[in-house]
Amino acid sequence: MKGFILRRILYMIPTLFLVSIVTFVIIQLPPGDYLDVLMTELGEAGVEDSSTMDALREQYGLGQPIYVQYFKWMKAILLHGDFGLSFEKNRPVTDLIWNRLGWTFGISIMTLLFIWITALPIGIYSAVRKYSAGDYIATFFGFIGLAVPNFLLALVMMYISFKYFGQSVGGLVSPEYLDAPWTWDKYVDLFKHIWMPIVVVGTSGAAALIRIMRANLLDELYRPYVVTARAKGMSEFQLLLRYPVRVALNPFVSTIGWILPTLVSGEIIVAVVMNLPTTGPLLLRALLVQDMYLAGSLILIVSMLTVVGTLISDLLLAWIDPRIRYQ
Amino acid sequence: MTFFSKIALTGASLALGFATAAWSFEEAPMLKEQVASGALPPLEERLPKNPLVLEVVEQPGEYGGTLRRAILGGGDQHNIVRTIGSENLVRWDVNWTEVRPNIAESVDVSEDASTFVFNLREGMRWSDGAPFTADDIMFWYEDVFSNEKLTPSKHPNYVGPSGPVKVTKLSDTAVEFKFGEPNGLFLQQMAYGFGYYPVVYAKHYLSQFHEKYNPDIQALVDAEPAAADWIQLFNLKAGPMHTPLFWQNPDRPTLHAWHLTNAYGSTDRVVAERNPYYFKVDEAGQQLPYMDRITYDQVEDVETILLKAFNGEIDYMNRHLGRPAYRAVLNDNKERGKYRFFDTNDLPSNTMILMLNLNHEDPVKREVLSNVDFRKGLSHAVNRQEIIDLLYFGSGLAVQTSPRETSGLYKEEYAKQFTEFNPDLANEFLDKVIPNKDDEGFRLGPDGNRFTLIFMVADVFGLQFPDAMQLVAEYARDVGLDFQVRATDRSRLMELVRSNEHDAYMWNCAGGQADAYTAPICYVPLPGNTVNWAIEWAKWGVDPTTGEEPPAEVKAVFDAYEKVLTASNPEDQKARMQEVLDLAMPQLFTVGLVQNLPPFGIARNNVRNVPDPLPIAGQLWYPAPYTAQLYYEGGKSLP
Repeated sequence: MKGFILRRILYMIPTLFLVSIVTFVIIQLPPGDYLDVLMTELGEAGVEDSSTMDALREQYGLGQPIYVQYFKWMKAILLHGDFGLSFEKNRPVTDLIWNRLGWTFGISIMTLLFIWITALPIGIYSAVRKYSAGDYIATFFGFIGLAVPNFLLALVMMYISFKYFGQSVGGLVSPEYLDAPWTWDKYVDLFKHIWMPIVVVGTSGAAALIRIMRANLLDELYRPYVVTARAKGMSEFQLLLRYPVRVALNPFVSTIGWILPTLVSGEIIVAVVMNLPTTGPLLLRALLVQDMYLAGSLILIVSMLTVVGTLISDLLLAWIDPRIRYQ
Repeated sequence: MTFFSKIALTGASLALGFATAAWSFEEAPMLKEQVASGALPPLEERLPKNPLVLEVVEQPGEYGGTLRRAILGGGDQHNIVRTIGSENLVRWDVNWTEVRPNIAESVDVSEDASTFVFNLREGMRWSDGAPFTADDIMFWYEDVFSNEKLTPSKHPNYVGPSGPVKVTKLSDTAVEFKFGEPNGLFLQQMAYGFGYYPVVYAKHYLSQFHEKYNPDIQALVDAEPAAADWIQLFNLKAGPMHTPLFWQNPDRPTLHAWHLTNAYGSTDRVVAERNPYYFKVDEAGQQLPYMDRITYDQVEDVETILLKAFNGEIDYMNRHLGRPAYRAVLNDNKERGKYRFFDTNDLPSNTMILMLNLNHEDPVKREVLSNVDFRKGLSHAVNRQEIIDLLYFGSGLAVQTSPRETSGLYKEEYAKQFTEFNPDLANEFLDKVIPNKDDEGFRLGPDGNRFTLIFMVADVFGLQFPDAMQLVAEYARDVGLDFQVRATDRSRLMELVRSNEHDAYMWNCAGGQADAYTAPICYVPLPGNTVNWAIEWAKWGVDPTTGEEPPAEVKAVFDAYEKVLTASNPEDQKARMQEVLDLAMPQLFTVGLVQNLPPFGIARNNVRNVPDPLPIAGQLWYPAPYTAQLYYEGGKSLP
């Protein structure tokens, strides 16, 4: 087991190194740079001024060759934990992302719990009571959850809560609490808002897991060992949870690997639509304006999360399923 | 007496009249408390000796309230600039018809309009309480503007044909701006947005970041992770006002009505508090602004602003909301959001223009594109009304790139020329240029190959340009022209346009109103960020040793515009500008398709003193000089 963990961790290093290079190259690929974007945006506001740009080009040092920029960037990250400067915000990237990463993790973890809490019992129920009315209802909603794009669901829910409940939509707290200190009322207000992104982001994940759980469990339910256990007089509930469900749990664990990065970067559109203070909108904006150190750092962090997530799920799988360890 | 010195003097005498009446001034309750507690000096010490008495739109107002707006997470600094930023030495009146004193108490203009003396207000202060004097303007001139490292190229407002303006301090309250030759548009330019440069550099604060004043500058550079040398440090702390940099340093003192308390871009809400040293009062002697603060809630998407408006969370805003597509839905939610509409005169010379590259690098394409008959033919081939009906529900005018009726320069022949949809006439014009066609019915260029134009288009301004361009390409095909439409990202489009690698693109153009004088970018070839239809001629116009010499009829336009700059009174100036247009319009430099109808804004029902219609243009950063006189009936926004 120790050798397995060590091997897995060693594999991570070259992966991360390659990811960082690919990241840096990709964000450099589109033509132009941040100043071109700034100039165009100023032009759209009706401001025709090229003299300012000459001064600013100097400011951002955008003239250096790409590999010099890469080495500088990596060196600062490895030695000082400094991810560079956001061009647009004129602040170190580290100042900008941690707060947003905090919210992102908060929402992600709650979404993950939401997915498990809904998907697990529903999946078990619809497998055990196959072709019952409850199974059909669960299947029906499961397919809707899979088929409806998240951002559309977000829009519909926002419209309903705006139209019929008169709620202030968008953001995680109402405007009156935006710069207020954290009081009980503010927490209450937060929970009035935060359930919506959790449900929106969680629905498709939950729907997928319900289907997977149902299919896996159905495979197990008719195995001879279940029949044997039943014949020995084991109670139905205990039997179900102790054997077939445990085997069917594998997909839950292996999803951790991909669910972490999805929650950070995959829900960009939902975050933009719902105006969430997460990393999604920040990343989108950074990519659009070619704010390259900000975009690069976020992509790097997301990639790291993917790798770490994969590691965690590998380890968990190895822990619950001994067969994997020896392959 | 010249026109300019006259208006300056009436403004000054008005201010003097009030001051000599020995008035007692009034201040906001929140400031009274601070004075009582000793945190602020009394009002008389904070106001200049002769404060500006601002004409209000309806009536003097009452203090209190927060003006709530929304701002996009990035690239939206003009949202702040246009509400609190535009505070220059002189300003336009609220109707955009004449220049009046602002930070300067009066302006003396020499007879030949080459020397301008700005008389500052005695006892005027920055937002942190430090005195604002001629030294601050000299700091800008000597240490920022004239410093080659900080200002490698100068803004055209401050450069005449014989070189940059010379600025001299005459006394603590008088500064002279001197050009080598007459510059009749200088005061207008100073009243527009970019007149801000001389009055945003607070010497007492910014000199610490300047090599010349701080021998220990390296210590500050080392402490700032975002700067590698003192130039970067200075730019970071003293960035230009129209870039995000300015609004990311809340420590920097300003002369604006409200002062930022936190940086734009790093928080969920940008808050600007009233400046207790603001230099304007109303006619009742109440110090402006009336409203205590402005808040900008940061959002990621324009649609979220729309929802906020429905919920009554936006008090006064036209930016982002004034799109024609939003009118109906905003109207439906009027009762719920408790707001009303006001008009904005945001009227460019044209909102949808086919800009052909008259200085194309390829000689074959250049020969065709620079032939005016080709452009006339193209103009007749387009069914403008159909575009307006299909894309804008019939709201728009089918006219050329030309000044609007409100500009004072309007002529029907400018607006209507070559706008009739007539394919036969179009073919007639095109046959004069490229008569031969291939088997598929497409016209052949002079070199015998099919004449194909790559038309670039980006989805900007919310005006459905890519859809419009598809329609145009179909009209062009009907008269034998092969237009290939390339929808692309706007920054890529601009990069190609600026490097003169494009055939043609679709954009809009300023100059529809009084800004035709100072921004005639579609009537005269001028270097620009986004509008470039003859980049080589424009370079030649700035410096005849560069670029490319234009033909005689274009030179005539340059000469005529030169004369506008040297006119010393408004009547003369108008006549000369009309001459420029008379020379430029028949050449049909750009093919204009649509002029928009006025966009709109919303104001909550109890916001008063709302300018309606509100003039707005690329250079005119309104409503900023007049936001200070907005107030709430009842002292706060409706619940």
